[in-house]
Amino acid sequence: MFLTRSEYDRGVNTFSPEGRLFQVEYAIEAIKLGSTAIGICTTEGVVLAVEKRITSPLMVSSTVEKIVEVDKHIGCATSGLMADARTLIERARVECQNHWFVYNERMSIESCAQAVSTLAIQFGDSGDGDGGSAMSRPFGVAILFAGIEDGVPQLWHMDPSGTYIQYEAKAIGSGSEGAQQNLKDNYTKEMTLEDAIKLSLNTLKQVMEEKLSSTNVEVMTMTPEKQFYMFGKDEVEKQITELA
Amino acid sequence: MSFLSIDHFSDYKVHGAQRPDFSPYESNGGSIVAIAGDDFAVIAADTRLSSGYSIHSRTQTKLFQLSPLTVLGSTGCWCDTLSLTSLMRVRMQMYEHTHLRTMTTDAVAQMLSITMYNRRFFPYYVSNILAGIDKNGKGVVFSYDPIGHCENAKCRAGGTAGPLLQPVLDNQIQLKNMNLDEKDKPILTKERAVSVASDTFISAAERDIYTGDFVEIKIITKDGIESMTINLRKD
Repeated sequence: MFLTRSEYDRGVNTFSPEGRLFQVEYAIEAIKLGSTAIGICTTEGVVLAVEKRITSPLMVSSTVEKIVEVDKHIGCATSGLMADARTLIERARVECQNHWFVYNERMSIESCAQAVSTLAIQFGDSGDGDGGSAMSRPFGVAILFAGIEDGVPQLWHMDPSGTYIQYEAKAIGSGSEGAQQNLKDNYTKEMTLEDAIKLSLNTLKQVMEEKLSSTNVEVMTMTPEKQFYMFGKDEVEKQITELA
Repeated sequence: MSFLSIDHFSDYKVHGAQRPDFSPYESNGGSIVAIAGDDFAVIAADTRLSSGYSIHSRTQTKLFQLSPLTVLGSTGCWCDTLSLTSLMRVRMQMYEHTHLRTMTTDAVAQMLSITMYNRRFFPYYVSNILAGIDKNGKGVVFSYDPIGHCENAKCRAGGTAGPLLQPVLDNQIQLKNMNLDEKDKPILTKERAVSVASDTFISAAERDIYTGDFVEIKIITKDGIESMTINLRKD
């Protein structure tokens, strides 16, 4: 019996003859439909900047939350299915609090990414995971983790396959290809946090269809001094005017 | 001899007074002393393991090295000590695998507290003192009650001779009730900490039958752990 390729994308845990899991690959494709998010790590801190798609002028833009606080020392930017992102963020928060409770210390960024990735690969129809009923599909979300560990800023990226890698600068979402290239051309290890904020907004400006404004962009910095710090509307506005 | 049991003398029966026939705990004795210095910690424990008037062992260490910078001293019910310390070892190994680093003394201190409180209603019958170097390179001592309350202290005595040793430490290490001028206060060096620790054990062995034979002293610094043994009374 010969099975065509299309039949292998039905089961989430069936490998194709070439050794691929199509559902996971499709989930990674789903990220490319999401809004662009950019993370840049410098020695002074990490900056996360994301695009918010405000599809109607009647939308209350502040309720679209793409950057969230996981713990004082970890912030996340997500791209893809927002409902899926909520589940993963919830896990990250629980793991961070639990780690603090058991060990009286802040969780490392890598361990946090590892904990979230464990949840991200619990899809399948066996349902033997400890999360109760099985998840039928992979999460359609990519996450950027910005954090401080022992006073040193770190940036991590996780995709729907559960792979997590540390980056100096990373872009995810619809404009990620162009944005990543721009980051590659302009990122330097020596750049200041202020430079990084400018670079992230400039990159967003290049890949966004809409004009950059304080309503459709969110900016957050993670520094050893202030830890999680979300930019207010006026601060975003100021950064944008300084760009032009 | 069963015809002599109390059931046959109904007049002597007392309602409500019953002897429990299951006693899961045993006190195997032993004492611990720990002193925290600026860049070191000293922890000492005797090596006698007993039960009532019998001595099981004269050479049983009660100090457990959990990491290169952390030592746990544990006495009380010896089987609970063994169970608790092996559980701690397992959890620390798991931490090392998941988080790719060795647990700090502060993290061990918190985990020990939680591990013990998990047995709130059937506690480990142990007196624990944890000594080590914290993440800032300072010497630290944590003491525990049997259900897991954790307290950071400068010096602490525990075990059967704990109540005997603690006031000596308060006086000699914390200089309580000494009325000394600032310039006359002795500096807490490693040598002073070791000699106070061994002196308290020599005194305790005179009065406490559960403390004796040898005292094992561990000096913890960032460069490693030094061990020594001093003789005590063996009667």
